[in-house]
Amino acid sequence: MNTQWREIDHSDLKVNQSTIITLLIIAFVLNAVWLVALVAGVMGLGTLRRQTGFRIIYAGWLKPRGIVKPQLIPDNPQPHLFAQGMGGTVLLVAVIAFALGNAIIGWALTWLVVALAALNLFVGFCAGCFVYYWLARLRVPGFSVQPLPGTFPGMRPKGRTS
Amino acid sequence: MTDLILRLSLAVAVILIGIAVYQLWTRARLQFLRMHSSALAGLDDWRVGVPAILYFTTPDCVPCRTIQGPAIELLRAQFGERLQIITIDASIRTDLADTWGVLSIPTTFIIDAQGQPRHVNNGVASAAKLRTQLREFAGIEPSEPNAALPSHVIPEH
Repeated sequence: MNTQWREIDHSDLKVNQSTIITLLIIAFVLNAVWLVALVAGVMGLGTLRRQTGFRIIYAGWLKPRGIVKPQLIPDNPQPHLFAQGMGGTVLLVAVIAFALGNAIIGWALTWLVVALAALNLFVGFCAGCFVYYWLARLRVPGFSVQPLPGTFPGMRPKGRTS
Repeated sequence: MTDLILRLSLAVAVILIGIAVYQLWTRARLQFLRMHSSALAGLDDWRVGVPAILYFTTPDCVPCRTIQGPAIELLRAQFGERLQIITIDASIRTDLADTWGVLSIPTTFIIDAQGQPRHVNNGVASAAKLRTQLREFAGIEPSEPNAALPSHVIPEH
């Protein structure tokens, strides 16, 4: 079984999710499609750089000032990156829908990302990670990492592994 | 302007619906625990007839060390033998964390003298909040209301 876990700073993930939720709600309220596109771009770029999209807010501002303290939990980084990439892709589809004049689908997809990010932030269930683990279970090439022992696929691990 | 207000109202409505769903889920979870009394069976230190706080923590949890732990110790000093505090390391007892539906750390459950889970706090709960919940759900008051935090407990900042 491939677990490849390492210490992941879940405060970084939570700040990233909070930022995504906040910006997308602001985008909806202000009807700012450009902001949805910006969030999609940052999420996509972050995935390519193998880090959280809005890492600068946590690592450059909140963490150094002690406003948010690190929360290191053994976890697999790949499913989180996949989840972020999936969220960014959904937002990209939303932006395409806006460009094609279908605002209802665009905002529905945007709210879907908000809902899934909130589910991860408040409940600790990462839907994108869940999809990743299922793809690994189905032996899809490129998806090899398994959940930590005793952890439901997609749920936030509760602490130390062993 | 009307469009902005409409959008703002919609956003608030969606957020409120999300909060309501979350609260309903939490209540349903408590109801499930009440119907399955076996949840208490896994607690080694459980004493029948004494209200309890079931406190799920992990060694890596920073708010547990800085806020929740000291709050729990303050209550231990204030309530004495009237209250039992059962601390569970969720990183070791993952079976218990799953049984009790722990979603985040820290999580505290208020359990009445009959062993019924009455309330859950997902996340940090202050000593004052827990005192109010103990009064409301378990019917107990502090025996030493003016007791301070024990000197050996130093909150980390």
